[in-house]
Amino acid sequence: MERWQVIGLIIIAYLGVTLSIGLLSGRKASKSVQGYVAGDRDFGLLVMYFVLGASVFSAFAFLGGPGWAYSRGAAAFYILCYGVLGMTPYFFIGPKAAELGRRRGYVTQAQLICGRFPSRLLSVLIAALTLIAFLPYITLQMRGAGIVIEAVTDGNVPLWAGAAAAYGVVMIYVLFSGVSAVGWTNTFQGFFMLAIAWSLGLYLPIELYGGVGQMFEQIQAERPELLTVPGLQASGEPWSWGGYSSAIIVSAVGLMMWPHLFMKAFTARSDRTLRRTVVLFPTFQLFLIPVFLIGFAGVLYPESPDSPDFILPFMILNSELPAIVIGLFCAGALSASMSTGDSLMHAAASVTVEDGLGPFIKLSDRQQRRLIQGFVLITGLVAYYFAINDSSSLVVLLLTSYGLICQLAPPIVAALYWRRATTAGVAAGFAAGSGAAVFFFVTGYFGYNLRPFDLHEGVLGLAVHVPTMIVVSLLTRPQPEAQKAAFVDLREAESVAIPR
Amino acid sequence: MSNRTVRRLTAAYMIAFLLAVTWPGFLLFNRVTPIILGLPFNLFCIALLITVGMGVLFALYRSEQRHDEEKH
Repeated sequence: MERWQVIGLIIIAYLGVTLSIGLLSGRKASKSVQGYVAGDRDFGLLVMYFVLGASVFSAFAFLGGPGWAYSRGAAAFYILCYGVLGMTPYFFIGPKAAELGRRRGYVTQAQLICGRFPSRLLSVLIAALTLIAFLPYITLQMRGAGIVIEAVTDGNVPLWAGAAAAYGVVMIYVLFSGVSAVGWTNTFQGFFMLAIAWSLGLYLPIELYGGVGQMFEQIQAERPELLTVPGLQASGEPWSWGGYSSAIIVSAVGLMMWPHLFMKAFTARSDRTLRRTVVLFPTFQLFLIPVFLIGFAGVLYPESPDSPDFILPFMILNSELPAIVIGLFCAGALSASMSTGDSLMHAAASVTVEDGLGPFIKLSDRQQRRLIQGFVLITGLVAYYFAINDSSSLVVLLLTSYGLICQLAPPIVAALYWRRATTAGVAAGFAAGSGAAVFFFVTGYFGYNLRPFDLHEGVLGLAVHVPTMIVVSLLTRPQPEAQKAAFVDLREAESVAIPR
Repeated sequence: MSNRTVRRLTAAYMIAFLLAVTWPGFLLFNRVTPIILGLPFNLFCIALLITVGMGVLFALYRSEQRHDEEKH
């Protein structure tokens, strides 16, 4: 049997196991929106840990991370720096959101925001922004899966077929089992990715350089510019401190504001589970270190791949590893892609129905569930179309997705902690902040860099967002006391009419 | 230590973390040597900050649990 056939069999076995876990996990969940979107609010620590951790280990971590370390050096360190900072607020916000979710039946982030600030416009804006940020992200995960399969099978399984096989499996388990499948498959995939990342991250430097320390000494001797922060830009020019520092801030603010992550607060069994997840989450940041080592191992390698993003499969295929190990690596990389892609597809469909359509049409629970499943299918097909066709224009959107997503932070904080915030203030701030982020991104894209100190457009957006929200809130009439008490103090008065 | 003190210390650590990993704080750690546990000094410092951060979060967790039990 040829090498690519052995690898192909391992991939098929891996996809088979994932599919069965996905299908089996949904048997117990109730056939309702709460069951499909929030897992009946019954996820334990193990699943919560891997659901959130797997998102860090997306295709970006497996392909992009090593690519950054390889081509941009220490610039990649910023990816390690924001996890702890971004996760800590969730220690308090998560349980509070979960409590409101239990009381009022929320399953998405926008429902929480618009519960405190009733506005259909705001709800639709958030849904639209979510989709704009998600579509390129899903597309990239799919493309990543296709690229890996094509590379390790020596081109015998083309990109379109590989992506279709991997995401066909994802689609089936998400359609049938909803978030339960996302949770349990991510747990399996998480174990897999970690084992692969650690073994390869240590194996390659030892095999090629005699050890991790020796590898860095040699890089220091030949390419010292790669080992000091802020590292390089994609073009090879030195990166700026302003760019590096503000990337950390934007990512920390935005991390838990990604709707597919924030929503998981509604899936946790208890506050205790949520808090424990926060405590354990930083371990996933440490697990990224071996992934970077793989990228650094490529720096002094005599040959180079077509694109830095392919450094990992390139190194694997050029090492003298047996076919079984390459197959397992491939399964690890697919795990990284699929465990993020499934969560994104599920969240995109849930948000479209619950927040985009929900405020306008009355649907029964059963209809909502069916509609969400329909949108899972549509999202998957649209992303697949972009994934197999040239999607370079979409990648541009991805660059600024964090800048848009972090605009969700002020409304969430205001909804839960600021009594004086008003609907007008939050909507105005959100619109102004997103607008400013888009403006600085678009002008930069067309060659006019208007950003002071090379700051990330998300930080600039926040700098417009927060003052606008505060000023407009103070100029408009305060909300009724009962409304404020219900969200800020978690006191439920009898007279409060539950919005929507 | 009271729950409030632990919360404040956590916040203080996180602010220190932010200042340490961004400009200009990171200039203090931004060296390659000495290489510790195989990692360049700057990468090792980030790993250490993350590890200590987990310890801080764990202490916060314990303190919040105690606080909740006292309330009920």
